[in-house]
This record gives sequence, C-alpha cells and structure tokens, in this order.
Amino acid sequence: MEAVRAIGISKTFGTGDTEVRALVDVNLVLETGTVAALLGPSGSGKSTLIKALGLVTLPDSGRVLFQGRPVVVDGVAVADVTELRRRYLGFVFQKANLVSFLTARENVQIACEIGETAGPKRRALELLDYLGVAHRADAYPETLSGGEQQRIAIARALANRPSLILADEPTAALDKVRGRTVMELFARVAHEQGAAVLVVTHDHRALDLFDVTYEMEDGRIRPRHASEDTFSPLPP
Amino acid sequence: MNLAARDLRRHLGRFVGTGAGLGLLFAVVIAMQGIYAGLIDDATILTRTLDADLWIVQRGTLGPFAEASRLDPSLEARAAGVPGVARSRAYTYQIIQREVGSRTVRLALVGLAWPEDRGDTIPLVTGRELAQPHGEIVIDASLGIPIGETIMLAGDPYRVVGLTRNALTSSGEAVAFMTVRDSQLVLNELPDEAVQTERQRTLDRLRQTDLGRAQPALEELPVDSRWRAPALPAPSISAVLVNVEAPYQLEAVRRVIAGWGDVTVFSTGEQRELLLQGVVQKAKLQIGLFTVILTLTAAVIVMMVIYNMMLEKTHDIAVLKLMGAPTSRLIALVFQQAWLLGALAYAIALGLGALLHPSFPRRVVITPEIQWGAPILVLVLASLASILGIVHATRVDAGRVLEG
Repeated sequence: MEAVRAIGISKTFGTGDTEVRALVDVNLVLETGTVAALLGPSGSGKSTLIKALGLVTLPDSGRVLFQGRPVVVDGVAVADVTELRRRYLGFVFQKANLVSFLTARENVQIACEIGETAGPKRRALELLDYLGVAHRADAYPETLSGGEQQRIAIARALANRPSLILADEPTAALDKVRGRTVMELFARVAHEQGAAVLVVTHDHRALDLFDVTYEMEDGRIRPRHASEDTFSPLPP
Repeated sequence: MNLAARDLRRHLGRFVGTGAGLGLLFAVVIAMQGIYAGLIDDATILTRTLDADLWIVQRGTLGPFAEASRLDPSLEARAAGVPGVARSRAYTYQIIQREVGSRTVRLALVGLAWPEDRGDTIPLVTGRELAQPHGEIVIDASLGIPIGETIMLAGDPYRVVGLTRNALTSSGEAVAFMTVRDSQLVLNELPDEAVQTERQRTLDRLRQTDLGRAQPALEELPVDSRWRAPALPAPSISAVLVNVEAPYQLEAVRRVIAGWGDVTVFSTGEQRELLLQGVVQKAKLQIGLFTVILTLTAAVIVMMVIYNMMLEKTHDIAVLKLMGAPTSRLIALVFQQAWLLGALAYAIALGLGALLHPSFPRRVVITPEIQWGAPILVLVLASLASILGIVHATRVDAGRVLEG
C-alpha cells in the first residue's frame, strides 16, 4: 500500500540573487513496509524534502498524498496538518530530541497519548521492550547513551502506529557500530510494523539494509542503484 | 499525563528555589503594603477609638495630633451646655519619654475625662477600663508590661489595669490612657531641683512686693507642696470631645461651637483627614510611592521569571508540536506551571509574613484588600506571563527540531 506520494513538489527559498531552489519537481512514492535511504550532499534538499513530506514546511507547488488522499495541493494544506502528523507520521532526528523532563517511558507514552493510542503506558513499555531499552524506562534522557536515546526516539516515532516514519540523519551522532544497529532497527520496523521509513543518511556502509535508495542533488531526486555504491557493507 | 507536573518533578529543586525567591519578593511587597496600611491605621486609631462626633481644639490649630492645642478646661462645661450635645469630654494628648523599669519608653499619653469617660470605647484585649480617678493606666500590649504591674510616672505609681493591642501613634509610640487629672500631673512633672528653684523665685518675687514685706508669714505658702497660687490658671487641656444626641444635630452643634472665637471645631472625619494629610502625609507618600514601585518591579520580575521558564522549554515545545500535540496541551503546561509557581511563592510569602511581621518595628496591617488583592495580583501576573509564554509557544517553529 502506498504510504506517501509526492507529485512534482518544488520549494524555493529567498528571491533574486539569494534565491535557492531546494526542491525541483520532486516525484516520490514510498510503499508501506519498505525502508528507503535518501542520500545527497549538504544543501541538496534532503531536509527540505523530509520537512515537506512531514508537513512541517509546505512545498510551493505540487501535491502530497497520504495513503492516496491529497493533503497538500499547490502548496496549500487541504487537511489538518497537526492531525495528520499525529495520526500518520513519526519523526526521528539527528539528535534524539527527547523531551528533557520526561523519562524514557514517558517520552514514548506522551507520543502515544498525543496519537490517542489505547493503553499508552502499556504500549510505551511494549515499544521500549521491542527496541531493547525497557531496562532504561525510568531514566531521564540526559542519563542515556546516544544509542539508547535514538532507540527511544524510534520507539516514540512508532507510538502512534504511523504509516510513514521520517528520519533525518539519525545516526550522525553515533559511532559506526551503533549507527548500523539503528539502521537495522529501521529496517526491522519497516518490515515488522508495516511502516514506510525514509532515512536521510550520509553513511553508505549501511545501504545494504535499505530496500530502495534515492539520491538528491540540487533539489532533484533520482533512484540510486546498488552498482553506484563505492563502500562495501559491514558484515551483519 | 500532566506535563506541568512532570516538569516540576524533574526540576523540583529549581522550581522550589524560584518559588522561594519569588516568595521573598512577594513577602517584601506584602510587608510594604502592610506597613503602608499600618501607617494609615496607626495614624487614625485614636480618632476612631475615642468615638467623638466633634473635636474642639485651640483656635487656629489643627488639633492635638498635629501641634500643641491648649484649651481652658472650662470649655468642657461650655460645650456640654450647647443644645443637642449629649456628652462632652476633656481630652489631653502628649508624647512623653520616660524610664519604665530598666527601659526608656516613648508614650502617647491620652487623658480621659473622669468620670464621664473611663475608656469604655477603648478596644481592650484584656483587663478593664479605668475604675478610679487616680493611679490607674491602660497601656498597649506592645510595651510588654503585664496587667497588675505598677509603673512609676512623675513619682507616682500607676497600676496597669487594661491592655490594648495596636494602639499606636503614626510615629509608632504606644498609647497610654489615664484620667485627664493624672495626665496633667505627669505632663507638669518637675524635678526636685526645678521645684526648689521655682519656690525660691516665688519667694524672691514676694519679698520684692509691699504685701510680702508687710506679711512675712506669706512666705510659708510657696514651700507647702499642696498650695497653688490662686491667680494661676488650671492646667490646660488639649481638646474637648463632643458627642451629639442625634446625627442630624451635628451640623447645628458644630455651627454654634464654630461661632466661639477661641476654638476651632472639626468633625472626626476632618480630624482624620488632617492627620493623614498633615502629620503622616510625607511618610504616607514616601511609603506609598515605594510600595507602588516595589509592586511594579515585582510584577516585571515575576513575569520575566515565568516567561523565561517558558523560553527554556522552547525546544521541548517544538518537539511536542512536531509530534502533533494539541495547542490546548501546551497551554495547560504553561498555565499550570505558572499558577503553581505563583501559588507556591504566595504561600511562602504568607508564611514568612506570619513569622516576621510581629518582629517589625512598625505595625504591619494585612487588610482584607491586601489579603485578597495579593493572590489575585499573583494570579493575574502569572496569567499574563503565561499568555506571553503561550504566544511564544505558538510561534515556535516545529521544523527547528529537524535542524538539529
């Protein structure tokens, strides 16, 4: 099933000499149960695409459809974006961005409550257990390691059983072993939970874990083939 | 899940510390307002306590609380003869400083017209009013002298028979009530040496007259302590207090008395206003202005503290918004925390006040206006700061979280 579809979306920042075309006629389809990587140099438009698909920054033109339903048409939201984020989307960021005054369990539980998931506390504990951090349920973010924080961020992103998870360089702050573990989790989440996962990454060594890879350059997107990879994947 | 409660739990120490700081600030503001109210109350307590309709004072003066007012005691009887007057009482008022025991105390000595006025309008907290024409005194409890204790004034013992609470002058002196006669004895007290010098001067003047030279036996009179020269006037009084038979007669009585050439007459309200405008005006203005400035300063500080608390949560709010948290949840977080902080600060201020106000050198009066106004002010300030915080929270760009 189609989780999200972007049709000809474009986004421009600034005007005149300072004009930057961040997205140029981007077309993209992500199916549920697949994990996709999004590569590209800095300034290529990856984060802008994530924001556009996450309904954080709306595109100037083009359309965005969630599960076949138009939500953005010609740069205008035609549905309640807050409600859509609450119901269909999960985010994972470069930093875990956990709410500082909530414990690990509460960070997931609040996401469950916002997403109106039944039994939020139980669901939070289940997710922490699923991601192998149940033993850190009562710890505050500042006492968690980077890897633990990212696992909890992933658990939080799964709280509302989203159809689309957007992850913006989630392993940038982790070493390569922990980074790969997190990527494996994304693949597992996509395949087991049935969500579409789009991960922005610079780490070519974990590309073997993704079902599909896209590359962006100067605001344009294109599929990337396995033969283009210059790094060998790490052994599982 | 209550986000405000979770945040407080996580930052309990900082929250309590902030609450304590704001509590101290509120305590100072409340104390200043209480001191201001106390100043007004102290300044007007005597006019209230004595329950007079009219105050007759020396012509051209503003009454005993503002300046010296000397009236002939016969004015009491003159006033009593005016149609419509139900009661007229002599009244003396003087600030004195005396040694009482091992302490030096300042007293506002009020003389009551025995036996018409025994102090039945004085608000006693314990003991009784005056029951004898001489040797009894009612004092304020702030002097720390218990009932039954005897204090020496002008060489005579005075037994404390009643205690008042908060009967203080605008300058903070405790008020003492005794009969007019006793107060005159105390006020006209002279040291032994002065008495002897005066007797010697009297003898000298006598010897210079034909009468003195012709009748040497007259020289025995000045040395007799009970003797008083018949030509000398009786000691003066400060004012005459008048009560009318019925309120409608007040203006008529006042018109009659105001027609006398040797006196000025004030209503109790005018006497009160004179006190506030004259005697305590500068202090009132000074404390009043200081109170206003302090209240405004506290308001700004409280609002800034609460607003900054919200600013510190900008990132967390952005995360919650990105997760799709409804605005009502963010508003609840901001308001609940601000109100809790305000309530904690107010409770600390109240506690501190209860502990410290009795130790203040000046009386601190927490009027119902202060008692109800202060928490309302705190609530309003916390709410205003919250609204600023909410405006900020709604402007937070959820996308900034994605920028790392």
